[in-house]
Amino acid sequence: MKRNTLLRQWTGPLTADLTLHPGNFGLGKVPARFQPDATTTMVCGFCSTGCGLNIHLQDGRAVNLTPATDHPVNLGMACPKGWEALTPLAAADRATTPWLRSPGGELAPTDWDTAMQTFTLRFRAILDQHGPDSVAWIGTGQICTEELAFLGAFAKFGMGLRHGDGNTRQCMATSVAAYKESFGFDAPPFTYRDFEESDVIVLIGSNLCIAHPIMWQRVLRNRNRPEIIVVDPRKTETAMAATQHYAIRPKSDLTFLYGLAHLLIERGWIDRTFIEAHTAGFEEFRRHVAPFGITAVARACGLSPEELERCVETIHRGHRVSFWWTMGVNQSHEGTRTAQAVINLALMTGNIGRPGTGANSVTGQCNAMGSRLFSNTTNLLGGHDFRRADHRAKVAGILGLDPGRIPTENSWAYDQIMDAIDAGKIKGLWVIGTNPAHSWISQSAGRKILGKLDFLVVQDMYPTTETARMAHLILPAAAWGEKDGTFINSERRIGLIKKVSPAPGEALSDFNIFKLAAHYWGCGSLFQKWTSPEAVFGILQELSRGMPCDITGIAGYRMLDLEGGVQWPLPAGEKLEAGERRLFADGAFYHADGRARFVFDAPRATPEPADATHPFLLLTGRGTSAQWHTGTRTGKSAVLRRLHPAGLHAEINPEDADRLGIKSGQTITITSRRGELQARAFVTANVTPGQLFLPMHDEATNRLTFPAFDPQSRQPAYKACAVSVRPGK
Amino acid sequence: MECFARDHAAGGADGPAQAKYYRRLLPAAPPGPGQQYAFEVDLDQCSGCKACVTACHSLNGLDEDETWREVGLLHSDDWRAPFQATVTTACHHCVDPGCLSGCPVLAYDKDPVTGIVRHLDDQCIGCQYCVMKCPYEVPKYSARRGIVRKCDLCSNRLAQGEAPACVQACPSQAIRITVADQAILTAQFRATPAAAGNTFLPTAPRPALTVPTTRYRSARPLPAAVRAGDQRRVAPAHGHPPLVFMLVLSQLSVGALTVGLFLPPSPAQAGGGALLGIAALGLGSLHLGRPTQAWRAFLGWRTSWFSREVIAFGAFIPLAVGAAIAPAFPALAGLQPLLGVAAAVAGWLGVGCSAMLYADTHREFWNLPWTAGKFFGTAALLGLAFTLAVRPGVPHPGLLCALVFVTLGKLALEQRIFRWQVDRETPAPTALNRTARLLTGELSVWQRWRIAAALLGGGLLPLLGLLLPAHLALIAGTALACLLVGEACERHLFFTAVAPDKMPGGFTT
Repeated sequence: MKRNTLLRQWTGPLTADLTLHPGNFGLGKVPARFQPDATTTMVCGFCSTGCGLNIHLQDGRAVNLTPATDHPVNLGMACPKGWEALTPLAAADRATTPWLRSPGGELAPTDWDTAMQTFTLRFRAILDQHGPDSVAWIGTGQICTEELAFLGAFAKFGMGLRHGDGNTRQCMATSVAAYKESFGFDAPPFTYRDFEESDVIVLIGSNLCIAHPIMWQRVLRNRNRPEIIVVDPRKTETAMAATQHYAIRPKSDLTFLYGLAHLLIERGWIDRTFIEAHTAGFEEFRRHVAPFGITAVARACGLSPEELERCVETIHRGHRVSFWWTMGVNQSHEGTRTAQAVINLALMTGNIGRPGTGANSVTGQCNAMGSRLFSNTTNLLGGHDFRRADHRAKVAGILGLDPGRIPTENSWAYDQIMDAIDAGKIKGLWVIGTNPAHSWISQSAGRKILGKLDFLVVQDMYPTTETARMAHLILPAAAWGEKDGTFINSERRIGLIKKVSPAPGEALSDFNIFKLAAHYWGCGSLFQKWTSPEAVFGILQELSRGMPCDITGIAGYRMLDLEGGVQWPLPAGEKLEAGERRLFADGAFYHADGRARFVFDAPRATPEPADATHPFLLLTGRGTSAQWHTGTRTGKSAVLRRLHPAGLHAEINPEDADRLGIKSGQTITITSRRGELQARAFVTANVTPGQLFLPMHDEATNRLTFPAFDPQSRQPAYKACAVSVRPGK
Repeated sequence: MECFARDHAAGGADGPAQAKYYRRLLPAAPPGPGQQYAFEVDLDQCSGCKACVTACHSLNGLDEDETWREVGLLHSDDWRAPFQATVTTACHHCVDPGCLSGCPVLAYDKDPVTGIVRHLDDQCIGCQYCVMKCPYEVPKYSARRGIVRKCDLCSNRLAQGEAPACVQACPSQAIRITVADQAILTAQFRATPAAAGNTFLPTAPRPALTVPTTRYRSARPLPAAVRAGDQRRVAPAHGHPPLVFMLVLSQLSVGALTVGLFLPPSPAQAGGGALLGIAALGLGSLHLGRPTQAWRAFLGWRTSWFSREVIAFGAFIPLAVGAAIAPAFPALAGLQPLLGVAAAVAGWLGVGCSAMLYADTHREFWNLPWTAGKFFGTAALLGLAFTLAVRPGVPHPGLLCALVFVTLGKLALEQRIFRWQVDRETPAPTALNRTARLLTGELSVWQRWRIAAALLGGGLLPLLGLLLPAHLALIAGTALACLLVGEACERHLFFTAVAPDKMPGGFTT
């Protein structure tokens, strides 16, 4: 470093602002003012990838973070959201007290005692007057497993509610339904190393580069020079990076997959031995797909027969073919059958249970998988069935509960809850960690429905979300990083999150809010053993005993911390031998006969096809890797905001734009039968003529979407509705 | 969780654990003579996740909304050949950095060994000339700190064998550090004809200007019709009000003094002119983030037109003051004519330096003929109007005619930009196309005021003055006021309508 002179200042206070110091703890250089005195690793709280983040601590408080170098999931990398994960905690608009709507209609801060008394009084009054169907909850995939279990147990066994669901219904219900029916249990079979070990990777309705960048990193670690097939109507970032892209017509995916199956069968490119030993229903499936001839399928999908042949040949030539799907499949009017059509391809070619194979659902939220097993909504705690007396007895025994308190029927799904509110059957709703006023399909109708509620409680980090602004009572929740607990990621890995920052003001962890609610409800005695998240984790382990998701072999949080998370199953007595494990190596599936099922149905037309008045098909999806869901958290980071367009933009093909006289950057109006919005046109060849694409993060997008639901999973079909476009406002 | 934290603390290793991933992304040997460190970006490998931007932000401890890396988009308009690529960009650590040559206080240093272009934060006066000089918008101004800051290729990390933050953090390993040969790059960018296309990166500014060292690689040829995500975006640039007033008033001052040379001495003209010059520099200093450090601004005189402007006006002001006060001191009175001529020479040199300062940014709207024409035109115009306003007794018909003539000539020059007017259909608008579109679109109000004020102050009112000499004082005063408004509008448009080429940006970001 040169010395300062009168004329030239080489150093000084401004230079010192950017000084880097060795970070120690295996870190490289870090900003001097953030030099940690300790570090600790925890799982990221955004998506289901479940990256390990190394939190830099000063006096026990988080000051910075870096991706954990040796975490088995992310190998030292993170996407922008992960890097910025601490920023939303410090947002100015955090809820620091409960807020209660006054008789005059204004939300005003209140204290916890008033809040919980009101909570109890109002919900009790509704339940007393209208019965157990009249209050419901909508949960989330973004709080800890222990909290989800507490919520589900308190609501159903304590409050006596019958109906609760989560925003997970909007993202992976289809995969749950598909796996359950095909494998006998909701069991994504893969481990991320499969991305590295495949020689053919088939991505269906998944923009992995943007939605799961760290999974894409694993694809890039693949040393087999894999063929990467992307099936997506758009030329996405992932399609650009693929070796083969099939831009099929929206919602022709089921036909496409049956076409592939038919071609594989016709050419004898199937694994007869595996089919005979480990599956059931193949003959029926073969007959079902027989009419899906190459010419008709190619025409229906907007492809050439040669393209279909090339795709099938690539799958056939692969020794380790893995099939992956995400929201493009899940959010469809026939998503479950489509997911099962993917599963069928893996089964019939024997691409399952071996390294680099599998029919693999990539999930959305950080703890969607925890919600799938332990939210006590669709499943009884631990992947059990409400309708089975033996399951109810087992759960009641473990929880020290009268089995009579356990409902004998499944909950209504999210859309059924919304319908019941609309019909006046549900009058009270408790929304936890999600934002339906933004995210629910056909938003205007959704908001109108939420407006009918007598009592809406919203539990969130921010009192400013679209839904919280409609609430009668807001409960201020601690964020990721302000509490302890576990998440389960896409590859079934249970990972730890830790309190590394104090919650602001009077905000409480969701765990403590549930505990408080149980106390005020007068059922605190039911939860005597639910003293801490780790204590509840012990109860969850017990509940999992003997189930496919058995985790009784996990030695507490300390083991999760040391191992960088543990994938289920790990039954008691089994030694954890590998950091990355997959299911079905023995070909034994979870149906009683051990066989996987071929499940199929006739494809159905899109519920709202394009027509003369609404000639475009609207696709929705992830905008950028810097955005997450409704943006309540990512919108709080100035850096993340710089990484995505400032306003709403609509991708439109140059041919359509020319015809309609639309220029890039111009304001356009997009109208569906349910509403309209203004967006800036982004003229790009990445969308096919006749299609538009809108990112889902903008509050306006769901004004347009059409409320169609997959009949098996009740998942909303966000990805296709008919719209018209015109330039100007 | 504190027990776990301590576990990690106890087991902490010394070296960076992350090194195992990035080791192969660093050059095996440091640069030799004639070589330097450079970024290399693999466009095919980049998945568009943008982690590089956030990692740079977190690992360098930048301000909340400060980023040293940016991402943009290249895409195709041709629907038969869909294409998109994310372009990540930071400082290109140019072989011939524009920031460095423009800096008036030598606050940039290009390391002779590593070639890293480093900004000396404590030397910076916050003049932001480097922001205009850099074709890639690299230096970022922080109003809070009053200085610019920029990427230094994590020189402190590199010196210890650690990778820069962006290299460490890219999940696709799309960014690496290489050693570049400065002579080869210079030859590639400066010896090849521009018609050969941009071999640095399509849609980016001409690499011949500064010889950027970042290498963008792609195994597949980029489509011919590749567009930047923000290519059609036209948005007004920063208006820099202190600079508007500094330029207009300094030119008025120089013009007033010069016209005065041709007339009998007048204390009002000389004194008023000198005071306006002082006011100009005073207002101009409001532009600086750290005006108290500005005394160093002469240091860059070897390469910086900013320094040269400072030196010229630094001479002009005392000379002009001297010329104004000389008659009051018998000992100096004889020097008055000499001081006056010397002040005028320094003043015209200063105005010339002002013009060169902007022309040297190579922004097309700021080309030398146009800029010099505007700046000298303003000096002539306001000098004449000022003289008429403060000296109603002068023989006015010639001055009035000259005023009309200069006004019309200057307006004619300013109208030339509209030859570049194109409609929105134009697929690839040039920088001048975008300027013309701004002047007829978003900035058209300013443009209308500008023309109206000039025609009134430099056309109608002077003609009226010819007809009504009795009211000349009132008319000339009004004309000066109109022309000041007009020139201020013109100068506002000078700054706001400039639309330089830039690295590809994202859509509407």
